[in-house]
Amino acid sequence: MLRGIRVLDFCWVGAGALVTKLLAEHGAEVIKIESHARPDNLRLSPPYAPGVDGLDRSGYFASRNNDKRSFALNMSLPRGQQLARELASRCDLVTNNFRPGVMERWGLGYEDVAQLNPSVIYLAMSMQGADGPNRHYVGFGSTIAALAGLVQLSGQPNREPVGTGTHYPDHIPSPGHALVAVLAAIRRREQTGRGALIEVSQLEATVNMVASAISAAALGEEPKRQGNRSDLACPSGVFRCRGEDEWCALAARNQEQWLALAAVLDGRPLRDGSRPLAGGRLLADARFVTLEGRRAHEDELELAIAALVADRDRNELASSLQAAGVPAWPVLSSVDLLEDEQLRERNFWRSLTHPVLGRIAAPSAPFRAGEDRTGPTQAAPTLGEHTRELAHELLALSDQEIDVLAAEQVLW
Amino acid sequence: MTELAPLSFANGDGPLADLSVLELVGEFGTYAGQLLSDLGAAVRRVAHPLSTADAEAALGELSGVDVLIRSGGADTPELPGFDPATIRSAHPRLIQAVLTPFGSDGPKAGCPSTDLVRLAAGGLLWLGGYPDGEPVAPYGGQSSLCTAIFAVISVLLAVLERDHTGQGTTIDISAQEVLIQALETSLPEYELTGKVRRRAGSAPREAGTGLYRCADGYISMVAGRLGTARAWRRLREWLVEEEVPGAEELFDERWETLEFRQQPEAISRFAELFGAFAETRGKLELYLEAQRRSIALAPVNTPSEVLVDPQLAARDFFRQVPDEITGEPRTVPSPPYRFWVERDQVVAH
Repeated sequence: MLRGIRVLDFCWVGAGALVTKLLAEHGAEVIKIESHARPDNLRLSPPYAPGVDGLDRSGYFASRNNDKRSFALNMSLPRGQQLARELASRCDLVTNNFRPGVMERWGLGYEDVAQLNPSVIYLAMSMQGADGPNRHYVGFGSTIAALAGLVQLSGQPNREPVGTGTHYPDHIPSPGHALVAVLAAIRRREQTGRGALIEVSQLEATVNMVASAISAAALGEEPKRQGNRSDLACPSGVFRCRGEDEWCALAARNQEQWLALAAVLDGRPLRDGSRPLAGGRLLADARFVTLEGRRAHEDELELAIAALVADRDRNELASSLQAAGVPAWPVLSSVDLLEDEQLRERNFWRSLTHPVLGRIAAPSAPFRAGEDRTGPTQAAPTLGEHTRELAHELLALSDQEIDVLAAEQVLW
Repeated sequence: MTELAPLSFANGDGPLADLSVLELVGEFGTYAGQLLSDLGAAVRRVAHPLSTADAEAALGELSGVDVLIRSGGADTPELPGFDPATIRSAHPRLIQAVLTPFGSDGPKAGCPSTDLVRLAAGGLLWLGGYPDGEPVAPYGGQSSLCTAIFAVISVLLAVLERDHTGQGTTIDISAQEVLIQALETSLPEYELTGKVRRRAGSAPREAGTGLYRCADGYISMVAGRLGTARAWRRLREWLVEEEVPGAEELFDERWETLEFRQQPEAISRFAELFGAFAETRGKLELYLEAQRRSIALAPVNTPSEVLVDPQLAARDFFRQVPDEITGEPRTVPSPPYRFWVERDQVVAH
């Protein structure tokens, strides 16, 4: 789909790498610039392949850089910067997620590149944007989530805020919104021949994920943490099942789902057309008959459900509830997901072979157009794996010139 | 080089200005339509049809529509004649995006859901919450918003394809699969080490990284790993400069290594030292001073505090728009990206 689009990629570490990953999986040629002098920090971040040293052992790096080509170019040397500008003049997109000023110091700011390559699309994904008093502030996904209001709102009302447990903004809010903008810019360029600078502030991308809370706060209705409860369902919760750290999420959005849920938990599965019998623990409890009653006694309702499911197998419980038309799912961990029947039937997991890590699972793109499942096809590159071939192809350098530049630690 | 100017797509000239979008509002909300509308598409919204008459009306509106956004799955029942396959065969140029909880096929395709249940199926719920309690979901219907974002990504890929082939397509977007994009290192960690990552809560995972209480709430900090070794040293210097009792101890050799700073004794000792310092200071004061020292520290903001964030204010990020239903002014964020072009491009338009 993006065949013919060439990307010069300076997206290191977090959010940006996921933008160019999806572009690469859909046919773009992504050239990742890093060097032995300054490798992408993710190469130095665990998890590592056991018993291996070096820059090619990180599973973290591998999970975000599949299908890219690695060009080792030392940006601390003027000759390295000059070669990068030459590469930029032959690319359709230039991407980075550095702090404002880094690319400019290398002579690779948007204006520099646009002078060489007027129709370039240039993506700059900084933490807080290119202007404003805090443009130089440093951050990570977790601190951006805090700044954006998402951490404060996530967690139990009677405990400290807990957030998502991850650097969430790096995984979907920032790269997802950046991809929307980049793909739109590609279409604009196809229609008009013109390039553009796309600026994504990771803070602004994340605030968009809590827009409803912001709008409410502006009206004086400050939203609060509500744990797993919901305005759209009651009950709505996560309950401990039999086993070590095994849980089932369940909810009822309407009276029909409530009656089915109560019947399953009371041990009286609903059959087609039959009315549930009174007399079970949930169905017999006058406090839980109506939605208003359940909301008024939500603590008691959750305690009653917890007692009824504590000895049940989470998978069996979820299947029984699903069969009765009740929203329910076991709370799946990473290992559960690799074995999940639904994902397997949909051919979601792919297997890549990496020279250091061996065989690793990789998720497909989370959408399927027609019958076409798209996603990773090549494991992440080793550092500098494609330097020589790209130097031939794009810079027309001879083997001898390449050897000299390698000895000078330019192509390094 | 001429000056850069922001490009606005508000006046019918965005990259999707030639596209007509019909959004059937269902389980996954209206964010996909909003993102397309921000790029200049003409987006019309109607409720997902619940009666045969509604479905016929919606079908009648489909000619001339380029993109149809709809929710599917058990929570959004399909009416006869209004299923994606029938619509696809009648409208070969149409790009139809169907947002579902678990995908349009597979053994669980017909299961009902809520945001919480989708988060459970997608693995994000497992990673959230306190270590001593149940998994806890992130706030705000994140599964719907994330699914909408990937729906728009897939629609834009399909639009680029259609520009060349003239052919539409039907796209199946699964919320479960979308959320798996957000599991960080947990999959490679299991595959490479056999360790199943679980929720760690907001308590610090190492000295210098995590949530800390201060005088008026909490701050979030990352100082120590992922190339922030220097930030750890600057943090240490800061505490000594502020004459925090006992802070000199952080200059002992054992504190140099991340391995030590990940030990429970180091985590709790640091929390004690930093806690004593932070409890007399507000989160904004800590934010400004830490950032002056290039330490990644941020306040845990309430939504009201986000509304008055000086950086967002300086960038005119919040706008007032009339509410779609009530017409009352509503404060909303600007789109999550900005386009800049040479000023003469804007003038030429």
